[in-house]
Amino acid sequence: MNDISIARWPVGGRGGSRFSIRINQWFKLIAVTLLFAIWVGLPLFMGVLWSLVDPDHPWSYPHLFPEKLSFYHWEHAFKYTDIVPAIGRSFFIAFCSTLLAFALALPTAYALGRMSFPGKEAIKIVILLPIMLPGMVVALFLGRTFIMLGLSQTYIGVILGHALLGLPYMLRILIISFESIPQEVVDAADNLGAGIWTKLKEIYLPLIMPGFLAGSLFTFIASIEEFNISFVIGSPSIQTITTILFSYLGYNFVRTSSSVISLILIIPNLLILFLFEKYFKSQYMSAALGKV
Amino acid sequence: MLSRKNNERLLIPLLLLPGVGYILVMIVTVLSMTVLQSFGFYNLTGESHFTFKYWMQLFDKQFVDSFLFSAYVGLGSSICSMIVCYPLALFLHAKFPGKNVVLPFIRIPLFVPALVATFLIINILDYHGLVNEILVWLGLIKEPLRMRNDQYALGVLFIQMWKNIPFQLVIVSSALEGIREDIKEAARNLGAGSFTLFTRIIFPLTISSALVAMIMVFIGTFGDYSVTKAAGPMYPSSMAVLMHTKAFMFQEWNYAACVGVVMIVAVIFFVACYTKIASIFTKSY
Repeated sequence: MNDISIARWPVGGRGGSRFSIRINQWFKLIAVTLLFAIWVGLPLFMGVLWSLVDPDHPWSYPHLFPEKLSFYHWEHAFKYTDIVPAIGRSFFIAFCSTLLAFALALPTAYALGRMSFPGKEAIKIVILLPIMLPGMVVALFLGRTFIMLGLSQTYIGVILGHALLGLPYMLRILIISFESIPQEVVDAADNLGAGIWTKLKEIYLPLIMPGFLAGSLFTFIASIEEFNISFVIGSPSIQTITTILFSYLGYNFVRTSSSVISLILIIPNLLILFLFEKYFKSQYMSAALGKV
Repeated sequence: MLSRKNNERLLIPLLLLPGVGYILVMIVTVLSMTVLQSFGFYNLTGESHFTFKYWMQLFDKQFVDSFLFSAYVGLGSSICSMIVCYPLALFLHAKFPGKNVVLPFIRIPLFVPALVATFLIINILDYHGLVNEILVWLGLIKEPLRMRNDQYALGVLFIQMWKNIPFQLVIVSSALEGIREDIKEAARNLGAGSFTLFTRIIFPLTISSALVAMIMVFIGTFGDYSVTKAAGPMYPSSMAVLMHTKAFMFQEWNYAACVGVVMIVAVIFFVACYTKIASIFTKSY
């Protein structure tokens, strides 16, 4: 490598070091790509392979790869299991709970993002409670209350629970969006005589749109992959994708079936991740995930 | 103008009500239900009256083992993840070509549901999984290691690390990006080498974010149900598994409620510890 550097940058000193910095950078890219390939790519690849194992040619030791691939398990999963309606159910629940969380969060986020009042910081901690408490405790005793209210084993119960877990993400991201609206814009609207509805329609809603999308995506994904509440409050009457997957993983381990369902469960999340990549700005990510 | 200000003041509780009210009603319900049931109220069957009976019966060997196991998994995965995450965040902080293309891929585990992560990693770690095959082939071990449903919960720790390192990476990276360039320039102008730059500027300014990331991972893994159930040892079970089994298999809701109260108190205790550590670090600089 040194020879090339001399050939291309014959002027020593600065030029050479610049090139070595570039080599260093390319080395970093290769290292990171390799890391990704092993850390994320390999497990996914093995998962895909397991879903394609042909039932007549078992994949077992010492074969490093399956002998024959087939779509048998995919067909089986779609034909004979509850997975297709479960996908529909999961998406329906996620959609409703996202909508509910947004409706509940919008006015509160406005107050916390644009007004000043005593106790604001304490309230910002309180809204984190649903994700700070152990998930199974919340699920179990919310479920216990729902049994008494007759909401157990109903869609409404699961949606109410998922909205509770999504609210902290939605609130925190919307608060940040409201905070980042420049006061001048609002003042200008005030001076021009805009009422509260005009301001809401022309200023606040358009400007919090990216935050709304990011918050919705977080809540949506949180709902789709949520297990505890779906398991305690929903199943066995309302089977979602996660509870079906758990039945293959937790009780009796069926590797091929679980691989198919795992992949089905990943696909929507990855689509969301890559389609809406620009909305997962690091400010939203860290607002939603940390920075207490 | 003044009257409008006053109007806004009246409006605040109304605006807070939907979001904060919903959370408070739900959480207060959950908390009071847990505490009251642990003292013998709200029984589904039989009489409901105040009693210490369930608390007296709670601390047997099974419960203590579960508690220690959950604390081990929670502390282990939050600390191990950070040990990998922090250097990785520093490494990824520098500019390199194609960074924006590669980074979303590293975030993938963040979007992979815990149960799916469990499945994907179990595949790799199993008795004849890829890791064992390679280790045996390299001659490092004679016999494949048992990493699923094993005593030390190696599989669980590894799954949690796989899922949580990208999560911590997001938080630590954004803290690193938040350090203003002129501060670093000033330090360099005053003669700080990269080691001093790290110990005096970068580390103190990121440690609180790193601790928050560790707290979040601790809370998730300490109270975990599904991953431990699928990949953890048969005994001891995690607190969440113990609680759920007692409640649904044996209908011992009062016992489950006691476990729930202990879990909540433990989470508060550990969060307080982490916060204390963070304040020690920030004060010492």
